[in-house]
Amino acid sequence: MTAWRLGLLLAAFFAVLLLAPGLVAPQSPFDLDPARALQPPSAAHWFGTDDVGRDVFARVVHGTRVTLGLVTFSLTLAMLVGGGLGVVAGFAGGWFDLAAGRLTDMVQTFPPIIAGVMITGVLGPGAANLVLALAVIYLPNFFRLGRSAALAEAQLTYVEAARAAGFAEPAILLRQVLPNVLPVLVLNFVILFPLALQIEAALGFLGLGVVPPAPDWGAILEQGKNFILVAWWMSLWPGLFVLLSALAMTLLGRGLREKLAS
Amino acid sequence: MSAFEMPRRAALSLALAGFVLPAGAQQAPADPLLYGPTDPKAKRGGRVTIGSLVEPPALDPFRQAADARIRVSVLMYQGLFFEDQTGVARPLLAESASPSADGKSWTFRLRRGVKFHTGAAMTSADVKYSYDFMRNPANGSPGAGDLSSVAEIEAPDEHTVVFKLSRANAALPMTLTNKYGAVVPKGFLDEANSGTRMNEVSVGTGPFRLKQFRPNSTLVLERNRDYWEPGLPYLDEITFVTMPNSAAMVVGLQSRRIDLAMFSRPQDTQALQNAAGVEVHRWPSLNQKSIDLDCKYGPLADVRVRQAIALGIDKKTVMDASIAGYGTVLGTMVAGMQEGWGVPLAELANQKVDLEKARALLRDAGHTNGLDIDLTTIIGYDWMDPAAVTIAEQLRRIDIRVTIKKVELGVWIRNFRAREMGFTFNDWGTTPDPSLLFYRHFRAAPEGADFRNWNNARASALLDQGQETADPTQRRAIYAEFQKILAEEVPTIMLFSADVLTANRTRLKNYVQHGTGWYFGLAKAWVEG
Amino acid sequence: MAALLSSLAVFLLMRAVPGDIVGQMLGQAGGDRAAEAALRGFFGLDRPLWQQFLEWITATLQGDLGRSWYQGRPVGAMVWEAFLVTAELALATLLLATLIGVPLGVLAGIRQGSRLDAAIQAVNLVGLSAPVFWLGLMLLVGVSQFLDWSPPFAWSGPTEDLADNISILVLPVLSLTVLQAAAYAQFTRGLMVEELGRDYIRAARAKGLAPAALYFKHALANAAIPLVTFMGLILVQILGGVVVIESLFSLPGLGRLILSAIQGRDYPVVQGALFFVVVIAVLVNLTVDLLYGLLDPRLRP
Repeated sequence: MTAWRLGLLLAAFFAVLLLAPGLVAPQSPFDLDPARALQPPSAAHWFGTDDVGRDVFARVVHGTRVTLGLVTFSLTLAMLVGGGLGVVAGFAGGWFDLAAGRLTDMVQTFPPIIAGVMITGVLGPGAANLVLALAVIYLPNFFRLGRSAALAEAQLTYVEAARAAGFAEPAILLRQVLPNVLPVLVLNFVILFPLALQIEAALGFLGLGVVPPAPDWGAILEQGKNFILVAWWMSLWPGLFVLLSALAMTLLGRGLREKLAS
Repeated sequence: MSAFEMPRRAALSLALAGFVLPAGAQQAPADPLLYGPTDPKAKRGGRVTIGSLVEPPALDPFRQAADARIRVSVLMYQGLFFEDQTGVARPLLAESASPSADGKSWTFRLRRGVKFHTGAAMTSADVKYSYDFMRNPANGSPGAGDLSSVAEIEAPDEHTVVFKLSRANAALPMTLTNKYGAVVPKGFLDEANSGTRMNEVSVGTGPFRLKQFRPNSTLVLERNRDYWEPGLPYLDEITFVTMPNSAAMVVGLQSRRIDLAMFSRPQDTQALQNAAGVEVHRWPSLNQKSIDLDCKYGPLADVRVRQAIALGIDKKTVMDASIAGYGTVLGTMVAGMQEGWGVPLAELANQKVDLEKARALLRDAGHTNGLDIDLTTIIGYDWMDPAAVTIAEQLRRIDIRVTIKKVELGVWIRNFRAREMGFTFNDWGTTPDPSLLFYRHFRAAPEGADFRNWNNARASALLDQGQETADPTQRRAIYAEFQKILAEEVPTIMLFSADVLTANRTRLKNYVQHGTGWYFGLAKAWVEG
Repeated sequence: MAALLSSLAVFLLMRAVPGDIVGQMLGQAGGDRAAEAALRGFFGLDRPLWQQFLEWITATLQGDLGRSWYQGRPVGAMVWEAFLVTAELALATLLLATLIGVPLGVLAGIRQGSRLDAAIQAVNLVGLSAPVFWLGLMLLVGVSQFLDWSPPFAWSGPTEDLADNISILVLPVLSLTVLQAAAYAQFTRGLMVEELGRDYIRAARAKGLAPAALYFKHALANAAIPLVTFMGLILVQILGGVVVIESLFSLPGLGRLILSAIQGRDYPVVQGALFFVVVIAVLVNLTVDLLYGLLDPRLRP
């Protein structure tokens, strides 16, 4: 259970950074001054400065909202659309199930980074398109889960009973099935979070992430890779933050799974 | 590493005096400055490995415009002249050039004893064939546009070719250099797959021949034993390795995996300042980092808005932010040609920051609340992002709210060629002649490409005049006037030229970097021990 | 079926990305429309989309993936060569991950709840959370600065120069292994805990069987089937995740081939390589399913 507590603690830490970055890092993540470029960590700049003289601490802290926000947003989108479609497909069956199933099979055969590259290639880089790309990548996962959960639910007696009692199908879906499927989807959300985070950071690292000057962790890493031999601080901290937030979600996911199982 | 290393020599006067070429002697000795200075201590033998961040997509000099292709193919393929840094076109496969009085006919005597990598001897028929292929747009060569003034090529005897022009073109020898196209054996390009064949064999006349090309990994060149200039080249083998990023190049140099690397962002060499056995050199460049303004794009259609933007940008600060100051701020001429052709910055309009004037111009243009605009940067061009955030900050002072937009290179090229570039960064180089620098980019269509939709009649007339005028003093005056219009009208804002920085292991000697960033210097480099 | 659909999707997506090979070939030179049109005609880009797709798919189904527009080499050969690089990377990673992950997992499982278990789990968690490309970058820099060594960057296959081949692969394999070994250890630990809790183990223990025999003969033997199938899963995951690591270390693998072909708009290579990837993914999944059915008697019909 200590793992669960550590996870909560870390998650709380990142939640604070996400909701109120200004409290933790009062400096602006955008203020630049080439005269103070590439300074090592100091009392004034805890994490040093980047190549245009911005405060790396402020950028990493403010980057929490950008990076974790993007991942949260895209996974929520994937969960709602993918999970929703999955539940409907599982419940309704027929041609819709078949077509949606084929479509998600197709998406799933692509390596995630390549899928991300192609989607951001078509739409162009940027936060909104990155969200869309990540959502598409993880949609099939939620779809399958929602579908199989709904299939299982549909066989259960209470659904049969509700049908017999003359409830309309959408109503059954909404009132009976969804509440039972939701915890499974949420757990999946938490489990996928670290993976999605890594893909987000990797796409940012390939230059396909958010657009400057937004402080995204992957983008800071991409920017820092050229300076890694003279300014390690540009690469170390954002990487650690990716690691720690992924760790937080992994721990939470494990705890949640145990809680759900018991 | 403060001063430039390029010997300036007496080249400037040469550059302005037009083409002072050796008379048509029978066996003209090769110009000792071809490809760079010759080192009397040079010894033959040895292999070197060169790290490069970019890789040629293919090796066809006729149909691939990519700079990464030109960098390496200049070692395998040759044109009639060599584009000396200082603006002189030194005879390469040609021995001499003599223009007719009206400038509409150029007679080139060809070098004798030149053999292709195939073993066949080069004759005038090969030269005619190669340039005829290149100038025919149906063959899809990027160099066709530069040869549009050529009406006919004749080969009166085995060692002479005559170019007949529809308009005089004083820059013709500089056009027949090594950027696009080359002299290849007659008939070679007739095959439909000739372009991709050149990834397997080289068929040029250059000092090195292709040994192996492995895309996404390495390119190996070997010494051409039949090279026409006796004793050259010195190196037995050159391996180009594609490196993932500049940090890896630094690491590779430190650990002796590579002997030479060229850095796209000068400050990346900082980590090498104190590395043992590695020397860092700084060279002047013919490249420019600029902002292009599509003169039909939204608010940019109004010249006052373009001027306001120019007045709001402090080029020096942008240069400091994006390349840590390792370069030269530009007016309207690339750094490597400023001395010979440029107008002093103080005499050009819109070079100094003047926020009051900028605001007034915007007000006059009707933008009382300022304006919003997208600024495009290209993925993979590391200098652009810091430049973009700096410019966004600077323009905010005159209420221009900049949103940065990133695009992939392929998308950017598509927009550029479709003349839909908007407000964008650009990064391009030139052969050292003002006509080749300006004509294609700024001459109104159809003669020029006019990518920025500038369509300026006066500028076009000057560009035509400049191309046709042979007298160096007159030519200089024409291009000075053109530059003043360019500065006044702001279809482009040339920000700075980034110095070319190379770092090499000390065992590699006499590598002189050409301002284009191409690897000419390897023809005369050698290794110790 | 999935492969066909995917191919169509790739085909359409690729053509939806603005810009084509013609723009890349001409660059900022010559604005001549005639040159553009000539090149478009040369690559057949001027024909209707359906015709281009139909031609490509018919040839593909007959085993001809076409030729690269830049290299002129058969796409099939290029994809295969790149795949060998990626496969070597993936198999080396798999091997190392198994060698490290399984013993760690077994150890943690046997000593469930001990300090050792906690330590192994902590390392696992960090391994699972570290971004692979970041780890790779840190490894490259760390090794070069502290050991004065770097990989040779120029690729040599194992049959060309084995020593060079190993020097090139060691860092990328290590950076990939961290994640996969952690995943493997995690999975193994779970299996061991489960097996050790079963009745037959308790019975054996009561009979006084030596612990080593108990762990290795029985528990691990029973866990072998899921471990093997997990291997398949990891393999698919590695294959999907090598793109970034190949770019980071300049390896001429499948991921980089696809990436550079997308950037260069080399449609035949993109289509052919992704067709191959999709077919491989389908095959691996199928094999895993089949193996699972064969190895696990409970799933036999």
